[in-house]
Amino acid sequence: MERKTHSVSRRNALKFLGAAGSSLALANWTAGERALAHSTDGAKPLETFTGPGANPHWNSIGPYVVEPQKAPLILLTDRPVQLETPRHYFRTVFTPNQAFYVRWHLAEIPNAVDLAEWKLRVEGNVNKPMAFNLSDLLQKFQPASVAAVNQCSGNSRSRLQPRVPGGQWGNGAMGNAMWTGVRLRELLDAAGVKTGSLQVQFEGLDTGAGPKGFGSNRFMKSLDLTNTALDETVVAYLMNGEPLPILNGFPVRLVVPGYFATYWTKSLCCIRILEAPDDNFWMKTAYRIPDTPRGTTTPEDVKAGKVKTIPIERMPVRSFLISPDGSSKIPAGLGVTLGGIAFSGYGRVVKVEVSDDGGSHWKAAELGEDHGAYSFRSWQAAWTPKAPGKYVIATRATDEKGNVQPDEPVWNAGGYLWNRIEKQELVAGNANGGAQ
Amino acid sequence: MIKERWKLALLLVAAATVLAGGIVYAQMRSGSYGSRNGESIAREAAPEFGVDGKYDAGSYPSFTPELAEGDGKQEAQSFCATCHSTRYIVMQPPLPAATWEAEVIKMIKTYGAPIPEATAKKITAYLQAHYTPENRKQ
Repeated sequence: MERKTHSVSRRNALKFLGAAGSSLALANWTAGERALAHSTDGAKPLETFTGPGANPHWNSIGPYVVEPQKAPLILLTDRPVQLETPRHYFRTVFTPNQAFYVRWHLAEIPNAVDLAEWKLRVEGNVNKPMAFNLSDLLQKFQPASVAAVNQCSGNSRSRLQPRVPGGQWGNGAMGNAMWTGVRLRELLDAAGVKTGSLQVQFEGLDTGAGPKGFGSNRFMKSLDLTNTALDETVVAYLMNGEPLPILNGFPVRLVVPGYFATYWTKSLCCIRILEAPDDNFWMKTAYRIPDTPRGTTTPEDVKAGKVKTIPIERMPVRSFLISPDGSSKIPAGLGVTLGGIAFSGYGRVVKVEVSDDGGSHWKAAELGEDHGAYSFRSWQAAWTPKAPGKYVIATRATDEKGNVQPDEPVWNAGGYLWNRIEKQELVAGNANGGAQ
Repeated sequence: MIKERWKLALLLVAAATVLAGGIVYAQMRSGSYGSRNGESIAREAAPEFGVDGKYDAGSYPSFTPELAEGDGKQEAQSFCATCHSTRYIVMQPPLPAATWEAEVIKMIKTYGAPIPEATAKKITAYLQAHYTPENRKQ
């Protein structure tokens, strides 16, 4: 098989003559650069794994796969299903349902739900245990909507040094949607929480093959009844105005604005009022962070048993450059729009700054429409690379509580809470035949 | 005289064509396709639905990876796959031997995996022989 490199047929050359004219300046394009221009054969596939260094890519490195009700997404694992959203889907503030990332813990996840049988139960330490079908939720309660970011606690885990075991997410274990459903407090009021109650526990339809009493058998999460996040919590039956894909929690999922997704129970079926703190594996052992600033620690301190942990809760402030994504060169002198998203679990993003020298000098970006405190906020900034060269674009967000993204890494054994300033190299090429 | 003028004109046209061809050649490249076959993902027809209360998304596809050949592969495949696909193994970055040992212990003690002790040792040794920074292959 002979590989065609840069053959231009005479017919094509003549056809092109009229359009191109005779601008001799362009003739300086060298054969070497020409060979780089379209190298379909030389295309380099991604690694099959990254490490022990940090994953250098924006997304994780798995292949694209198609799962039910989904666009091609990046595979982490197939049983249970874990899929990552490709970067380009974050060009819009609301992440399409079909492209929304997927993360289940236990392998026996629902393939089908029969709404003739399905019930959402509110039970435990209540005056009147309740069982609502979907029609009850739609008709008996005033719908409430909230735009909120759902982000996996381990989003960007593949950035950690040293690497930690777990889902090796790039940055795409997050998404933003307009969630519509019933306020959790209204459901609790309907059942009547008894005095002396402490927590509310959530469980979905997923189960695992592990033995009873182990985290590999049931997945349950709890929050204190006094937690103000519950006042904003919604049991959602609509995601961006459509029923939820089953992989994202059909028929209803919990939405806890500002909190990491571990609390956003999918295919929610049981709301349980507890009198004692939940000590199941997923609260007592998993999803815990060091009780330190930014939840960061060292492998040495973990080994020495020095690290006191607390359950993970709100998401630290983050921002991302989405476009341009570095997949193509930009001609020097050509103005482009840097654009991306930012969010914080502590409140609305009030500032996004952009740097083109890796974080030495910063300029404020223009913020997009405000969809609420817990939504993605889009931002953009005009940028012109003046001369050919490599530029490192960095983005830094600040939220209304004054939290600013730092440029220091995070490390903890779970691989949680990564929110370091993101950097993206962009290459500007020659646009004028070498003269500058 | 007329003949010579024609010759000169022809020569000029020929020279211009060659020059123009050269310029175009330097400006662009076209008609080049790789010999490698691209990957494709088959599309599926829309499902047909009944009007009952059943909402069925069908089965979830498996994407079972090839584990590295070696002693202990069978044990790893059968025991690990009780709860999760072996893609969990290949998804990990290369992990130090001690981390693999801790992972197998975690599966048994924390998650209750019923793996006999001798088998657990074999699985640990297998993971340590193929999935550490020193020995993992792309």
